Amino acid sequence: MAKDMQSAKSVGSGVDISKIKLSDVIDIDFLQKFQDDFATGVGLASVTVDPEGTPVTKPSSYIRRCNITHSSESGDKRCAESHRKGGEEAVRLGRPYVFECHSGLTDFAAPILLEGRLIGTILGGQVLFTPMEEEKNRKIAREIGVDEDEYVKVTQEAKILTKEAVEAAANVLFIVANSMSNDAYQQLKLKSVVDTLSDGAHQISATMEELAASASTVSANQANLNKEIKNVNTVTGKIDEVMDFIKDIADETRLLGLNAAIEAARAGEAGLGFGVVAQEIRNLSADSKQTVGKIKELTTIIKESVDNTVRMGAETTSTIEQQAAAIEEVTASVQEISSLTELLSELAKKA
Amino acid sequence: MSTQLVVFALGKEEYGIDVSAVNGILRAKKFTITNVPGTPKVIEGMINVRGKVNYVLNLHSKFGREPNEETEENKIIMLNVGDANTCCIVDEVTDIVKLEDDNIELAPLFLSGINSKYIQGIGQIGERMIIILNPAEILTFEEYSAIDSKAG
Repeated sequence: MAKDMQSAKSVGSGVDISKIKLSDVIDIDFLQKFQDDFATGVGLASVTVDPEGTPVTKPSSYIRRCNITHSSESGDKRCAESHRKGGEEAVRLGRPYVFECHSGLTDFAAPILLEGRLIGTILGGQVLFTPMEEEKNRKIAREIGVDEDEYVKVTQEAKILTKEAVEAAANVLFIVANSMSNDAYQQLKLKSVVDTLSDGAHQISATMEELAASASTVSANQANLNKEIKNVNTVTGKIDEVMDFIKDIADETRLLGLNAAIEAARAGEAGLGFGVVAQEIRNLSADSKQTVGKIKELTTIIKESVDNTVRMGAETTSTIEQQAAAIEEVTASVQEISSLTELLSELAKKA
Repeated sequence: MSTQLVVFALGKEEYGIDVSAVNGILRAKKFTITNVPGTPKVIEGMINVRGKVNYVLNLHSKFGREPNEETEENKIIMLNVGDANTCCIVDEVTDIVKLEDDNIELAPLFLSGINSKYIQGIGQIGERMIIILNPAEILTFEEYSAIDSKAG
């Protein structure tokens, strides 16, 4: 039982943050919709990736130029590398990081952090601060092995935004994603605490039941003990009765001795031998009487001892009763805690 | 010469009476003493011993002592005096002893008067002093006649 309670205590440390994934704290469907609507509204492409760089949402509002870049094997690699670098920098800063991607577009990386640990990154952008120089554009197209003219043409689809606008948009995504995931994380922690509390309360309830059961067992045992001890008293009383009987026989024997001595004395010389026997009889009766006295002393001690035991037994019984009452009080308090825990659990689910 | 005495207790004192004047000893608690109306106060009553009526003298009353509380140890000494069956109730019969004449002093002279005739002498056994009663004088004439007339 003690072991169980200890293991229950260790659960109290809460949620293991190293195992939390983005999907644990953010509803991905909701994130997808938010990301899509945001991308459409602001005119920025975006996608959310896990810490390994694997996308967890579908890309929102990707421009054609980027799709072409991704279609080339080296372009795709360069994109991944570019995203990785941007993501790392964002984690290092602990806030959104706006940078120029390998293909010359403006991108941002907004980290989603739980107590400083990265659980995902929102990548976005695919815009320009100023229209891209054609020569630079063609050079990139050649590097990644795509059609130069087509590449230059689709680059015009990239929105021209100010740096402030890109930063603000990145910030919005950063704030919303982080506060959502942190709220959810706190809620997970709360749930864990509530679960621990609930487990603890159940443990206490179970322990209290055991205690109450053992208290009643002890009480029953004590009652039996008291009964047995009272039996001893009854038996001792019977011994005393027998002793009274023996004493009576001793008295009668003594009288016999006295009368025999009188008869012997009256018989004169002839009664001398009989007189000795009469004396012996009196001695014997005196011994018997003394023995009876000793036994009675012993039975008196037994009686006192039994009385003491009975009194102590009564004290034990009253202590047990007090304990039982205390257990009842504790049980009531635990039940209160249990119902509070249930309420808390409800609140934690709703929050 | 020596004398054998039945020694008994009345209160703290020890008394003795010659064995030849004693017929036997009974346990008082085994008998019911029935009061006899019209007899002197020293006669406690009568008991039935093996079908014979015996009159019981109370020696406490006779010697003008405060009566002792009844105990389990009270004894009745049946006397072998006179014609009537008489006996006396005592606190306890303590002993039967043999006393040499050297250990018996006669009753002192200053004990004159009516009480002196009960006392035959004072016996000594070590530190113990035993008042030896004269069996023939235990019953006064009045008492004896009161009993005798009843015994008829």
